[in-house]
Amino acid sequence: MAISKEIYKALESVAGPEYISDDPVICEGYRSGPGGYEAGLGYERVMTTVPGCVIMPRTTEEVQRIVKICYRNDIPYVPYSTGFYGPRSHPHVEDALLIDLKRMNDFVLDEKHFYVEVGPGMVYSPIQEECMQHGAYVVIGGGGAQASAIANLIGDGWSPLSHRIGLPHRRILGTEIVMPDGELLKMGSLAQGDDPFWGEGPGPDLRGLLRGYTGLRGCLGIVTRMAIKTLPFQPERLEPTGISPNTALTLPEKRVKWINFTVPSKDEQVKSMREIGHAEIAGAVTKVPLFWRAIAKAECKEEFWDIWGKETEESVANFFIVRVLLIGYTSEEQMEYDERVLMDIMNEVGGIARRTKPSDESWIKNADSAGMWLMCGGYVSVDYVIETLSQSPGHGPCYAELKKKYTPPLMPDYGDPGWFQSFEMGHQGYSEFLVYWDPDDDTNPVDQFYVDTSKMNIKNRFYTSLLGPHQPLYLTGPKYGPNYHEFLLKVKNEFDPKWMSHPPVPLAHDVFVERAPWMHHMKDWESPADIPK
Amino acid sequence: MADKLPIRYYKPKSEFKFDITDIQNFVYDMSRCIKCKGCTWVDHTYMPGTKFMTRCPSAEKYQFDAYGAYGKMRIGHAMAEGRLDWNEKAVEIMYACTLCGACDVGCKRNLDLEIELTLESLRVKAVQDGVGPMPAHKKIADNISRTHNMYGSPAEKRTAWTTGAIKPAAKAEILYFPGCTASYINKEIAQSTAKILKAAGADFMLMPEERCCGNTLFSVGMLDEARASAKHNIEEVRKSGAKTLLTSCAECLRTWKVDYPKMLGISTEELGFEVIHLVEYADEMIKNGALKMKKPFQTRMTYHDACSLSRLSEPWTPYEGKRGWMGCVEPRLKRRRGSNGVYAQPRDILRAIPGVELIEMPRTRENAFCCGAGRGTREAFPDFATWAAKNRMEEVKDIGAETLVSSCPRCKNNFAQAVKAGGIDVQVLDISEVISAAIEA
Repeated sequence: MAISKEIYKALESVAGPEYISDDPVICEGYRSGPGGYEAGLGYERVMTTVPGCVIMPRTTEEVQRIVKICYRNDIPYVPYSTGFYGPRSHPHVEDALLIDLKRMNDFVLDEKHFYVEVGPGMVYSPIQEECMQHGAYVVIGGGGAQASAIANLIGDGWSPLSHRIGLPHRRILGTEIVMPDGELLKMGSLAQGDDPFWGEGPGPDLRGLLRGYTGLRGCLGIVTRMAIKTLPFQPERLEPTGISPNTALTLPEKRVKWINFTVPSKDEQVKSMREIGHAEIAGAVTKVPLFWRAIAKAECKEEFWDIWGKETEESVANFFIVRVLLIGYTSEEQMEYDERVLMDIMNEVGGIARRTKPSDESWIKNADSAGMWLMCGGYVSVDYVIETLSQSPGHGPCYAELKKKYTPPLMPDYGDPGWFQSFEMGHQGYSEFLVYWDPDDDTNPVDQFYVDTSKMNIKNRFYTSLLGPHQPLYLTGPKYGPNYHEFLLKVKNEFDPKWMSHPPVPLAHDVFVERAPWMHHMKDWESPADIPK
Repeated sequence: MADKLPIRYYKPKSEFKFDITDIQNFVYDMSRCIKCKGCTWVDHTYMPGTKFMTRCPSAEKYQFDAYGAYGKMRIGHAMAEGRLDWNEKAVEIMYACTLCGACDVGCKRNLDLEIELTLESLRVKAVQDGVGPMPAHKKIADNISRTHNMYGSPAEKRTAWTTGAIKPAAKAEILYFPGCTASYINKEIAQSTAKILKAAGADFMLMPEERCCGNTLFSVGMLDEARASAKHNIEEVRKSGAKTLLTSCAECLRTWKVDYPKMLGISTEELGFEVIHLVEYADEMIKNGALKMKKPFQTRMTYHDACSLSRLSEPWTPYEGKRGWMGCVEPRLKRRRGSNGVYAQPRDILRAIPGVELIEMPRTRENAFCCGAGRGTREAFPDFATWAAKNRMEEVKDIGAETLVSSCPRCKNNFAQAVKAGGIDVQVLDISEVISAAIEA
C-alpha cells in the first residue's frame, strides 16, 4: 500500500520535514544499484526496488514511533544504516518506507569498563581510532571501515583480528532493539537500568536470535543502540602515512608488527596456526589468497590483471603463506617473547620469515573490504564457513573445484583455495572466498553458483554462513537444524505477525528462486506452495 | 589478458572518452558505484575519530543518500538510461554540491571510477536539457557577458588594485592573472602577490584585456560560454609571449590548468605555457634563497587546502579508449587521483616563517573539508556555503588555531563571513598576505 498523504504527515511529525522525503529523485538515491556486493545479479534485479519514501530518525523513540505508524497502517519498512553490502539491505517490496539510520551516530567510550556504545549510524574506523587513542581496540571487521558497526556485528563481524576472540556475538553487550511492532526490547543489563555493560541476563538474551548466523537484515526489528566490548591494546600510536590511494598505518615495530612466513605446505599452514593459537600469542593469523598480493601491488585494475594473468595453477597451488600480526599488548618484553615463540613454531614447521612492510594497509583500522573491488570495479561475493581448524581448510579446495564449473563468468582464479585463518586462539577455523565476475557477462550462472555453493556445503558438512536470508531457507533450514527454518519462521511470526519489517526476508531467497526462471532447475528441495511468487 | 585465456570471456569493447558533454561516457562509472561511501568518509587510515568523520559537505549537510556521490551516481545512471526525469529536487541535488573532488579521491583509493567528471557531466546535461543552471548562476553568466567579470563590476576597474608601487611590466616571462575576486573584492591578495614577485626580483605583466577565467561557467555546465572564455584567454596569453601564467586563486588555477584543456580537448602541456599558483613559485624562491621571510609572525596557524590547488590540480590529459572485460581500459590510463596536488609547498612556506607554529586540522590534504564557496555553490546556495565554512571552523577551533590560512580568495571570503557571523576569534588570511607580511623588512 502506498504511503498516503495522511500517513506521510504523521511520519513527518516524528522526524521533521527536513528528514523525510518521497521525492522520486531522493528515493532513486537509495537504489541498491548494479555495483557492489552481489549487486547486479539476479537477486538485485528481481528482488530489489527503490523505496516509496525515506525517513531519517535521530532517536530510538523516533524509530519506535515510525515503526508503530507503519505497523498500524500496513506500511512495509526496511532499516538501513550505511547501505553498503548490497541488495539484501534494500527494499524488496514496492512502496516500502526506508528508515535511514545514519543520523543515529551516537558514540560513548567507557574506558574504565572496556566497551563502546554506538548507534546504527556509527561506522567502524572512527570507533577503532577512538579506541586506540584510549589503549583499546575493537574487532568489527566484515563490511569494512565505512560500514555500520552494529550492522556489521549483527551481520558478519569477523576479521583477522578475530584470532583472539571468535564469533562476533561474543562482543555484543547491552543492546536495544525496536521490535517490528514498535515495542522496545532491551537486552542484557540494559533491561534493568541504563548500563549496557553486560550482554547476558538478567534480561532476555536474544543476541543470537537477533543476529542469526550472518544477520537477518532487520527482519526481526531495528537495533538502535549497542554496547560493544573493547579489548586492551598497546599504547603506541599507529601513525597514518602516505597519500591516497597509498595510505597506511605505520606500525611501532617494538609493539606491533606483521610478519609474513612462507611454509612448505598447507598442512604446515594449519599446524602453525593451531600452535600459534595454543601458545596464545598474536593478534591475527591468516593465510591470504595470492590475488590479494596482486591487489596490493597494482596501481590500477589493468595492472592487477597484468599481474594476476602471470599466475598459473601451479604457482597458486604452491603458495603457502602465513601472515601473523604480533602485538605487544602489555610491553615490549611481551612482544619479544611472543616473537621468539612464533619463530620457534615457524622453525618447527619449516616456515621462513619474509620481508614484511612495517605498516598495516588493510586490517587494524580499515577492514578495508572496499579495496577488494579494485579489479573489476564493483563485484565480490563470498562463501564463508566457521568450523574447526581441521575442517575449514578442506572447504577451500572443494569450493575451488565447484568454481571451475562456473568459470566463466567467474574470473580465472587458477584453483585458488581462498583464505583461511584461526579464530579464538585456534578453537575455530574460518574459510572465506571472494569471487569476481564482470557484471556485463551473463550472470545467471553466478546466481546458480550461489545456490550450488550451499548444496556443496551441505553435502560436505561445512557449517556454512550462508544460512537464512542469504540462501533459500527451505534449502538450508532442514539441513542445519533439522528445523532451523521452522524455528526462524516461528520467531518471525511471533515478532512480526504482519511481516512488515523488511519483507519477505527471511524468505527472500526462496522467493527469488521462484521468480527467476533460470533458477528453477536448481530447485531440488521441498517448500510450501504459498511462498510468494 | 582475457583474450589469452583458454575459456573465452565475452565482453565487447565499448568506446568512450573523457568528454563531459556526453553523459553516456560515464555510464560505466555510475553503474559501478558500490555504495561503500569512501567518497563521504575521511580515508579510514586518517579517520580522526568520531568528530570530523566526513569530507563531503553535501552529504554531511543534506544527509539523504541522494546528496552523496553514491546517490548522484544512481540518479545520474537512471537519467542516462531514461528511467528518471529531471525535477526541481534533481536540479537542486546536482548543484548543491561543491564539486570539491573529495568524493573523487575517496573513490579512487579503492576503485577506478571517474566521479568528478561524472558530476561535471551531469551539470552539462542539466544545461543541455534546459533545466540548469540555477538562477544565481545565470546572473553570473550575464555579469561575465556584460562586464567580463563575475561580479558585474565595471571592466575598466579591473586593474584598480595596481596602486602605489605596483608597476606591472609591459612584457615579462610571468603573466600574473589575479582573477575576478582578487581584482575586485580582495585586492589585498593581488597586491600582496605583486609585492612577493617584486621581492623575488621577478617582473610580471598582466593580460592586456583580462577577463573572467570562466570558472563558474564551466562549473555549472555552461560549456559553450566557458569554452569561449577559455579560447579568448588562452589566445591572449599566447599572444603575450608569457612562459608562465601565475595565479593567486586556486579556482583560477584549476580553470586554466585543468578545465581549459578539458574543454578544448588538449593536454595541459599543449596550452603552450606553464600554469602555476603563487605558492609553487614562492616556495621555489624561498628554497633557492631569492625570497627571504624574516619578519616573525607569532601565531598558532593552520592551513586549509583549497580544493582546486590540492586534490583537483593535477594536470589534464585527454583520453579516448575502449573498455573491455572487467572494465579494463586500453590504452592504459593514468588516472588523476589527487595524489600529486599542491600539498607540501604552502606548508613548507608557512613553516619557514619565524614564529609560526603550524598545526594540522584533523581533515587535511586530500581529506580536507571544502570551505563551501566554490563551483557556484556560494552564489546558488549561500546557506549551504556558510554551513560548510562553519563546519570547517569547528575544526579550526578544535585544534586551537589562532590563524586560518588558505590560498584562494573564495575560501578566504567564505571563512571570513563565517567567522564574522559566528563571532569566532580566528584570523583568516590568504597565504599571499602571510608571505607578504613575512618578507617586509
